[in-house]
Amino acid sequence: MCMELQLGLALPGSDTWSRPLLKLGLYEDINVNRKKRGFDHGYLEDEFSAASFKNYEKGLVGWPPVETWRRKKLRCQVHNHMTAAENGYCGGRASNSSYVKVKMEGVVIARKIDISIHQSFETLTTTIMTMFDIFDENRRSFKLTYQDKEGDWLIAEDVPWRTFVRSLKCLKLIRSRG
Amino acid sequence: MHKKMAFSFPDEVLEHVFSFIQSDKDRNAVSMVCKSWYEIERWCRRKVFVGNCYAVSPRMVIRRFPEFRSIELKGKPHFADFNLVPDGWGGYVFPWIAEMAGAYPWLEEIRLKRMVVTDESLELIAKSFKNFKVLVLSSCEGFSTDGLAAIAASCKNLKELDLRDCEVDDLSAHWLSHFPETYTSLVSLNISCLGSDEASFSALERLVRRCTNLKTLRLNRAVPLDKIANILRHAPQLVEFGTGTYTADVRPDVYSDLAGVLSSCKELKSLSGFWDVIPDYLPAIYPVCSKLTSLNLSYATIQSPDLIKLVSHCPNLQRLLVLDYIEDSGLEVLASSCKDLQELRVFPSDPFGAEPNVSLTEQGLVAVSLGCPKLQSVLYFCRRMSNEALVTIARSRPNFTRFRLCIIEPKTADYLTLEPLDVGFGAIVQYCKDLRRLSLSGLLTDRVFEYIGTYAKKLEMLSVAFAGDSDLGLHHVLSGCESLRKLEIRDCPFGDKALLANAAKLETMRSLWMSSCAVSFAACKLLGQKMPRLNVEVIDERGPPDSRPENCPVDKLYIYRSIAGPRFDMPPFVWTMDEDSGLRLS
Repeated sequence: MCMELQLGLALPGSDTWSRPLLKLGLYEDINVNRKKRGFDHGYLEDEFSAASFKNYEKGLVGWPPVETWRRKKLRCQVHNHMTAAENGYCGGRASNSSYVKVKMEGVVIARKIDISIHQSFETLTTTIMTMFDIFDENRRSFKLTYQDKEGDWLIAEDVPWRTFVRSLKCLKLIRSRG
Repeated sequence: MHKKMAFSFPDEVLEHVFSFIQSDKDRNAVSMVCKSWYEIERWCRRKVFVGNCYAVSPRMVIRRFPEFRSIELKGKPHFADFNLVPDGWGGYVFPWIAEMAGAYPWLEEIRLKRMVVTDESLELIAKSFKNFKVLVLSSCEGFSTDGLAAIAASCKNLKELDLRDCEVDDLSAHWLSHFPETYTSLVSLNISCLGSDEASFSALERLVRRCTNLKTLRLNRAVPLDKIANILRHAPQLVEFGTGTYTADVRPDVYSDLAGVLSSCKELKSLSGFWDVIPDYLPAIYPVCSKLTSLNLSYATIQSPDLIKLVSHCPNLQRLLVLDYIEDSGLEVLASSCKDLQELRVFPSDPFGAEPNVSLTEQGLVAVSLGCPKLQSVLYFCRRMSNEALVTIARSRPNFTRFRLCIIEPKTADYLTLEPLDVGFGAIVQYCKDLRRLSLSGLLTDRVFEYIGTYAKKLEMLSVAFAGDSDLGLHHVLSGCESLRKLEIRDCPFGDKALLANAAKLETMRSLWMSSCAVSFAACKLLGQKMPRLNVEVIDERGPPDSRPENCPVDKLYIYRSIAGPRFDMPPFVWTMDEDSGLRLS
């Protein structure tokens, strides 16, 4: 279906859809599982399968749209019936805040990340890498480490998620050696 | 001489007439009739509403309305609720407080939504406004209990302190003790967002005891069930009550205490809280259920049978917030028991699970739509939907004013026909002629936007995610929705064409949010240059947008109309596109 758009303002000589969206890293932060290209394929090729979105939510920021405070309050419940995977972090801090400092080796300014919105190392690592502008192949040369309550520095993925979240004090991205 | 006679209505008479006009829309209309009405109106406006704190500067507001007593400000875009707006984006209230502190010593009410409020701001409020009465902070952050202590200590006439859904640095529960023993004017207190640690029960009890006008009390999770009886005993006049944690060892004395004290609250109309509920204690609230008009069980992780029992005791319910544990069966009971229901919100108990954990489908929503003739506002999370269900819902409930449907998995098709849900949502906008707010989900093509542009003439707010095929979709909405004020879009293939073609429309709206779409940096620059009354802000944590090719899509875009010009408090990851941006950034 074609439609004449009355262009009051127009970019000089633009042909919007010839741009290769895939290459622009636009969907970097949401395309967690690199094998499942169904999502960005869909925009270009007019075909997509619903199945390719199955595990998608795990990597999407802010989806489904449940407010952060609601997620937090629901998460920290004693007699809840959620799956073990959902019984993530709660308590251990006097404040309601679940923000943790994140540093990167060689970068002066630290950032902060809300740990309560993550349920897996995958989404956490992806978000942190994006925060520090590390893309694609470069990601392999970094490791996520954390300092626990006892002050020891450990490799994040060496422990189960729940243990990690409960003992987490702050995070640091370091270059992997070897 | 004749002209003068026609307009010689004395100012005082007009002022008196205007005093009956409370809504901002009407006040704005009144002020545009003629210059003299503008002048009279501005001097007698007592309540100011600023929907976007960056649309106007504090000084401009103060200059125009020299005698307001109440201000409401909103800051961050709505999608900030879902973590889409990075930390540090803005929405600071301090500049407003600072300006008003000097100009308005008689300010009485401040209502803020999604703003950053510091302890410094709270201390300034406490110090500057001697007759301060109402502080409502909705989804705000940046302050601690120290700031609250300052308010408690100084605001002798405080009537309302409401901290709904705020992010508070809970340093100490003893801030409550800062209310002097002589202070008795509290009418409404909502501290449900405060931390789960130690709480000052005795200070709370004493406060409740001496504030005999207390009508609303929403406690935080730290208050245990056995303490509630002590608190409620002193406040049988309560109309709205939020429990703390609703769990305790099952002891008969705790139960009977609770049941007894609740049944003596004859005015109770609204209940909330219910963290950590154990079903054994639920029947304690049955005696008050018949009078309840509002029930918030959205944190209560109890199963359908208990929810059904509870709901069937509440025939006068008008507003229900609940988790999807209620299931279709529970919603069917709701539909037959609660004929006065006006608003329903069903939240997901397991939003990230791939498989449904409860038996809640589109059937529940259909049942409620068919059974509740007054239903007008719905927020519903589910995992499947059909066009057939949506059409049934639309036909049976044309009085919807707010319809927000979230099918949890993006791009889910009609589960019966595997088609897009265009026709279903099309029916919603076609039949519900008074629809003001709509949130879409599921598999949707440009067609649904064509329906929206054609029929949704009263629509003021639209939320879109993972929908559409091309710019045509966005064009339909921008060119067709006459009443549109707020549009928020994420992950849709909308680019430059529709945006640029409808640039003028953006000046008639409060704001437009687009994230993970296909709007290029070049288009943003162009828009910023050509539309001086729009603030075009690019949010991009990857770095300066001009470090990438111009035709690269920006990560996030927030456009809003403003007479204050570009703001100066932007963090490093926000760039404003204004008239000079073309020169500055090249």
